[in-house]
Amino acid sequence: MPGILVVEDDNDLREMLKVSLNRKRFTVLEAENGKDAIAHFKPSVTDLVITDLIMPEEDGLKVIMKLREMKPSLKIVAISGGGKAGPGSYLNLAKALGADEVYSKPFSVNEMITRIEELLEIEQD
Amino acid sequence: MNEENNSQFQDQSLSYLSKEKYYNDLILDNSRSMISIINRNYIYEKVNATFCNALRGLSGSIIGKSLGDIWGNETFNNLIKPNIDKCFQGCTVRYEASFTTPQSGKRYFEVIFRPFPVDSGVITHLVAETFDITDLKLKEKFAIEKEEEFKRFETNLPVGFMRCGPDGQIIHVNRALLMIMDCDSEDRMRTTNLRDYYAETGIFDLHMERLSDNKPKSFGRVPLKTYKGTEIVCRISGYMALNESGKTEYIDFAFEDSSHELMLETRLLEAQKLETIGALAGGIAHDFNNILATISGYSELLMEDIPESSPSSGNVSKIMMAVSKARSLTNQILTFSRQVEQEKVIVNVYDVLKETVGFVRSVAPSSIKIKSNFRKKDAPVLADPTQLFRVFLNLITNAIQSMEEKGGTITVSIGYIGEKEIIRRELNRNIVADEYILVTIKDTGKGMDPSLLRRIFEPFFTTRAVGKGSGLGLSVVHGIVSEIGGEILVSSEQEKGSVFYVYLPVSREIWKAPEMKGQRKKILFISGNKYESRIMSLALESTGYEMILVYNPTDLLNSVADRKSLPDLIIYMCDSSAVSCDDFAVIYNNSDFKVPCILISEADQGILEEKLVISGIIRQHLVKPVSLKEIKDAIQLSINQ
Repeated sequence: MPGILVVEDDNDLREMLKVSLNRKRFTVLEAENGKDAIAHFKPSVTDLVITDLIMPEEDGLKVIMKLREMKPSLKIVAISGGGKAGPGSYLNLAKALGADEVYSKPFSVNEMITRIEELLEIEQD
Repeated sequence: MNEENNSQFQDQSLSYLSKEKYYNDLILDNSRSMISIINRNYIYEKVNATFCNALRGLSGSIIGKSLGDIWGNETFNNLIKPNIDKCFQGCTVRYEASFTTPQSGKRYFEVIFRPFPVDSGVITHLVAETFDITDLKLKEKFAIEKEEEFKRFETNLPVGFMRCGPDGQIIHVNRALLMIMDCDSEDRMRTTNLRDYYAETGIFDLHMERLSDNKPKSFGRVPLKTYKGTEIVCRISGYMALNESGKTEYIDFAFEDSSHELMLETRLLEAQKLETIGALAGGIAHDFNNILATISGYSELLMEDIPESSPSSGNVSKIMMAVSKARSLTNQILTFSRQVEQEKVIVNVYDVLKETVGFVRSVAPSSIKIKSNFRKKDAPVLADPTQLFRVFLNLITNAIQSMEEKGGTITVSIGYIGEKEIIRRELNRNIVADEYILVTIKDTGKGMDPSLLRRIFEPFFTTRAVGKGSGLGLSVVHGIVSEIGGEILVSSEQEKGSVFYVYLPVSREIWKAPEMKGQRKKILFISGNKYESRIMSLALESTGYEMILVYNPTDLLNSVADRKSLPDLIIYMCDSSAVSCDDFAVIYNNSDFKVPCILISEADQGILEEKLVISGIIRQHLVKPVSLKEIKDAIQLSINQ
């Protein structure tokens, strides 16, 4: 099954995403922040990355740029909860930087997984 | 002293008379005045040495000359002769004159003509005595100028001056003080005591005590009352003048009206406070959204695990409904703190205002009249129309609530204001446009007292009962208006009503709906609320969609059947009077429509049939208030799926 890297600083949310994705038999890799995600990125086993945009230690926009550089075929889903960043439009920026899909929190995880399956061209059951 | 006198001084055989003449001449010559004797033919018969010196001539060259020769005919005829003639009639004449000489510039003189001899009855001569009063004159002139200069200060500066007696009795006030104290005459103010103008007489006594050490004092801002009793704040400084025995002679005060400055300061402080609260609340909302995402994610997992027949299935739906509500709350907080992404289009504020007023009219109680005597206007602003709707709806709804008990009138108006007015009204924000649209919403309701008024834009600040209203309404309004680059001001008087002023920057950009890939998507918009749906469709049309509006959900079938081509998407927006989103979801899901659908439910309703969403033909469920950005994203997702 395809490998998905979840980059999210909120432990509970990351855990939830992992459980949901595991259920759909995805292999889930985790990173707590952008710096770790970039440092431990394994292009060969990662097909898609879900990244939060506002995180301590390297924000999500940097993650998108760096990982894309390392693996151009990588699919990217960005999530953001608003706040902290000020009135900027982080999600729009993420889209401009090449995120395939963006969601603002809280989002429907089913909806996200459906979209992920589409992006990875997986036949839905 | 001249040579003639010297030769006389050396003469040993002086007679008594010549000695007497010698002494007289000596006295005359040593006088600081210019002295001369003039006969009836206006001829000098005798001049003293001072006179000769002043005219730089010898007595011989003056004696025998007429006054016209010496002073010029014009001066003589106009000034000297009339005075001499008056003197020859028997009276002493005194006048002042100035002459400009090349040697010493302009000099001032006091001239006295005395008839001579006095006792003979026949006046044959007169004695002219002329004093140089230039120094005196210059001093006097300087003093007058100084006084005028001070008067100008006193009159022109916007600083109020007052002199009062030891007990505070007002002796003198300047024009500025009359204006500050809102009194139309100095006489009227003179009948009052400075003590009367202090909001607290204790402070007056304290100031008097502090001044008694004979040093000037600044007292900073002091709350005062005007002559008519209005509360104002002035910056006061004073000085108490004491006489030699240490008793108070008078007290001088300067007043600067700082009410306006205070108002601006307060406004700035409030704006800063809102920014701070916004940043704080925004941060919390961000973290809270993380938590909500976790809750909703696990709920979705649960939903999958629990069979539909299980009673737990409904419970999970309720969890998800609560998440929707919470999401709507965090979204409002983020809107207030200006941290939500916004989709802006050029929108005519007039159109939005008209629809909002139409909507409110359709639901407002009959005891409330809504006047909107505005004509169609071109009022382009770069904004999210659905957000503007929220702003106006909120303000008008608040106005209605303030008049719920007694009824009343709401007056809504719209107009332009230019640069001058922007400056006059001292809008806080950075001026972003040359022109602003001003929307005014005025009610005749309960009004608010100043302490309340200061806090109305703070989140969770509400005067309503707990559970009635989130206390976020006006905060959201503030956030939206600020985000557009506008400003909102309010004035209010208790028991009379409030006025909200919404300033929105005019955008003269030429708007072009973005090009859509492929064919323009057609959206069928169904809602019982035609006003709100018109605004929604206005917004969506500007982003490039083709909109079809239907106001009755039961018309849906007919309207779709009527048209040859099906829409690409259906949006059902529920309002309290029509079919609920739950009912619609069930009906729609069971129908043979295969067009994707988005549901928009009321904020306090949520949706129980959450499982119908996403899995089926109903792709998205949004909770009001929905921004243009949210709905656009939802449309894109639904159509792409």
